[in-house]
Amino acid sequence: MTENPASSVARVRIWDVPTRLVHWLIVASVATSWWTAERGDLELHRYSGYLLLGLLLFRIYWGFAGSSSARFAHFVKGPRAIARYLRSGSTPSVGHNPLGALSVVALLLLLLIQVTLGLFAVDVDGLESGPLSHYVSFEVGRACAKWHETVFDVLVWIIVLHIAAVLFYVIFRKQNLIGAMLHGHREYAEQPGSSIRFASVTRTIVGIVLAVALTWMIARGLELP
Amino acid sequence: MQMHVRFSTRTASVIALMAAMSFTALHADAPATPAEIQKARHDHYHALGEASKKVRDLIRSSKPDFAVLEQAAEHIVDASIDQGRWFPAGSGPEAGKTRALPAVWTKPGEFAAAQKMFSDRAPTLLAAVKAKDVDAVRRAFREVGASCKNCHDTFRAPED
Repeated sequence: MTENPASSVARVRIWDVPTRLVHWLIVASVATSWWTAERGDLELHRYSGYLLLGLLLFRIYWGFAGSSSARFAHFVKGPRAIARYLRSGSTPSVGHNPLGALSVVALLLLLLIQVTLGLFAVDVDGLESGPLSHYVSFEVGRACAKWHETVFDVLVWIIVLHIAAVLFYVIFRKQNLIGAMLHGHREYAEQPGSSIRFASVTRTIVGIVLAVALTWMIARGLELP
Repeated sequence: MQMHVRFSTRTASVIALMAAMSFTALHADAPATPAEIQKARHDHYHALGEASKKVRDLIRSSKPDFAVLEQAAEHIVDASIDQGRWFPAGSGPEAGKTRALPAVWTKPGEFAAAQKMFSDRAPTLLAAVKAKDVDAVRRAFREVGASCKNCHDTFRAPED
């Protein structure tokens, strides 16, 4: 079933502001992290890493406490559901489709591993290091730095796959996933049966406070003031 | 007399031979081939990186362990002096995989100046440690680190 915008009857809000903002800020911070690492500006690289860490922490919180379309329990599906979705000819989902959920989980996991490695990484001269590197030896710090590079290469491939999949939906399935992640709305040929429960502003604020506090503590080396 | 002189000559040659053999035995593990020189150089800089990390870790605190800090600072001072001998001719990229750039050997004056910046600054780090002045140690460590970077920018290839 492809969607014909002219005959669309329902414009439904599916993504809340925090989910969309976090998505695009992750894009920006990954790009900044890559660029600063390329240029050897590790001071800025640390800051963009902290931003990414905070975003990931918030996104994980939002995966449990956020709007229903952002919750892991809502979109992470087993192989049977994925197979059923593929057989159905990828009908538009309200929120992540079962296949896209894999993309979300893989990206979040890889980014979390990548940031964690960065926290412990040490450069070859022992002059630059992540905020938790004093808990590990020079050798372990160096190993983390090497894995930090390897995981980045894997990450690039998963990002390419993610973008390719999104473009596939945009071009061949005529489902404007990019627009939805920008303005939060999608158009459906008929009114979808399920609807999204949106989380309150209070929950957003709690998440921001938690993410900022935890990131700040980690950036300071997990030492009590 | 004649006999005596001949005898001494022979004794001298034996002594010389023994000396040469013992010298060889003593220095059997000293770097000889360019590959060994490169390996030893790599190990020296690895140890220097380890010492730098130690300083960096310790001066996070305003009350560092000055005894450990002094050991690390002494290692850094020693390395800043010794590194003058770590780049003999023929141990560059032509001899095997190394990040040392040909400029080390084609611009010896500039390279010596870059090394001198390190050996000039390293003692200020040790002095600050001995004075138990953490702020001065932090400042000196930044300065020493800048001297490392200064040399690496010109004389070390980027990581691949």
